[in-house]
Amino acid sequence: MATQADTRPALRFVSPTGSRELALLAAILVAGAYFTLASPYFLSVNNLVQTMRAGLELGIVSAGMTLVIIMGGIDVSVGGILAVSAIVIGKAYQAGLPVYIVSPLGLMAGTALGAVNGFVTTKLKVPPIIATLGSMYIFSAVMFLVIGGSWIAGLPATLSPLVNGWVGFVPAAAIVLFFVYGLMWIILRKLAFGNHIYAIGCDEQAARLVGINVDRTKIATYAMLGFLAGLAALLYVARMRNVEINIGTTIALEAIAATILGGTNIRGGVGSLLGTLLGVVFIRIMQNGLVLTGVSSLWETVIIGSLLIVVLTVDAVRNRNNPRAI
Amino acid sequence: MSTPEPRQFRASDPLRMRVFVLLGLWILAIVIMSLLSPYFLQASTVPFILQYLPILGLLGLGQTLVILAGGPGIDLSVGSIVSLVGVAVGALFSIGVDIWLACGAGIVFGALLGLVNGVLVNVLRIPSLMATLATMFAFGGLAIATTGGRPIGGFPPEFAWLGQGRTLGMPNSVLFVLVPVAIVLHVMLTRTTVGRHIVACGNDDRAAHLTGLPVVRIRVGLYVLSGILSALGSVIALSWFLAARPDAGDGMELLAVTIAVLGGTYIFGGTGGIPGTILAILIITTLQIGLQLANISAAWQLGVIGVLLIASVSQVRDWRKLLSFKA
Repeated sequence: MATQADTRPALRFVSPTGSRELALLAAILVAGAYFTLASPYFLSVNNLVQTMRAGLELGIVSAGMTLVIIMGGIDVSVGGILAVSAIVIGKAYQAGLPVYIVSPLGLMAGTALGAVNGFVTTKLKVPPIIATLGSMYIFSAVMFLVIGGSWIAGLPATLSPLVNGWVGFVPAAAIVLFFVYGLMWIILRKLAFGNHIYAIGCDEQAARLVGINVDRTKIATYAMLGFLAGLAALLYVARMRNVEINIGTTIALEAIAATILGGTNIRGGVGSLLGTLLGVVFIRIMQNGLVLTGVSSLWETVIIGSLLIVVLTVDAVRNRNNPRAI
Repeated sequence: MSTPEPRQFRASDPLRMRVFVLLGLWILAIVIMSLLSPYFLQASTVPFILQYLPILGLLGLGQTLVILAGGPGIDLSVGSIVSLVGVAVGALFSIGVDIWLACGAGIVFGALLGLVNGVLVNVLRIPSLMATLATMFAFGGLAIATTGGRPIGGFPPEFAWLGQGRTLGMPNSVLFVLVPVAIVLHVMLTRTTVGRHIVACGNDDRAAHLTGLPVVRIRVGLYVLSGILSALGSVIALSWFLAARPDAGDGMELLAVTIAVLGGTYIFGGTGGIPGTILAILIITTLQIGLQLANISAAWQLGVIGVLLIASVSQVRDWRKLLSFKA
């Protein structure tokens, strides 16, 4: 295999041309340069590390979202999964359970909720957007019913070194991100499971005929996204030490935006983790820079939305002769 | 995308069956709600419930047509259009434009926003879900950002005629907007060529195209219609609250989709109708008001709507297979 040229364009970590990643990198550098000139606070270790810590949850969730979208699915309920997992974690801490029990509980909660999404889309044949819209309602209902209008506050800081700590000169948050993306890369590129995800995204019917257990792969992928949302919840609690009522409200849309910005095809079959990571960096740098340069944070959604429209339009115009691609 | 399953022969029209099922569901909802709250089954509650119908109803009707024409089409930006049109009308009014004229401009604006969606989805062929998610962000964010999140108030009291006024005990917004719109759309869908064309596009757009139907133009037109109906809903909301809230439409898109699919519109298009949608609006509104009157947490509304949404799309045929635990 090693001697053969890699002719599987969809399976590469960097997309075939790498043009999307390069474009994003250029955009990040341009935005960074502008914000450096516009604000003296932007280019400081403190600011950048803080931005990364605050973007940790988005980065983690986006990695899972990339896999789901490559598979031709979507999950708009990740914010709800994150919230419910965070509540499980908070309540478990309050019940006095030690961290080595609380953490698996939170991860299991996330995984289970993700698996439920996968189950509804595959076995009940509900299209993923509808299924996850519905489960988003249900998860937020659960959240409101459990914590009402109040916060779960004063949680222990046992895990906060994972977010706030340093390993030598490297922030721990960067190491966490590295591990998550590394793991996802291995799953996507080195395991048969990853090939199945691409295959289902390219042509579900063909994947089924080839003998791939489509339903099981789908449920596992949604469960994996749920697991990552659980992990994000764990880190959220470690960072904030409380659970607010508006936890996770925008993360699903931001994760989808980061994934699409990163070049993953919304119709499935094509996508890269590196692109997604750069998409997350871009979104967070824009948000941080805009706040530092005094633009109201209310403009964030307008900017993300318009950016998405521009990127989708560019993709559509570039690929207008290719019926498969957008 | 999943391939549509072959239609099974049924003794009766599945859509008509759906209407009966929905009617039963609605009666069930009314019975449960009147058991939960003694205030529910009173004559004075009826206009109160009707008051809530038109805004969501108009969005649900627009959504029904967009989904019905296939593609697969969906319009997640309707709630944001409600917010943005409201803010625009408020801004026009505050610079001295006559309120009814401002509303007219707002409806034209809504049509333009719908046109943006239609072009993104059908001409540029961006998947509807993604395109309208992006415009939902953009429109809703614009409403919040331009106003700084503050509501615009100070509408004249005579403007309340539409949203608060009643004729013969019925809210004007129902009598003069929702009912005529529903009737016109129903007649269009079942009695005119355009209606048949919409259904044809939803059933098989390739065949429709080969027959010579302007599939793209029809679908773009329906997105525009959805924008217009959302703007109408926005005007009713303005007239009801006499203020333009920049987050007025938040969450409405999900309710609109729920209403359309609960009403029997097949999520990939080709099957669906106005009567089912109207009943779905009645069911959702009854649940909302009933739970509110019974003083049950709003969280339950969310949960019930989520379950309804999933249950109404899931294919009942598969339940038996599901219970046998085969992969």
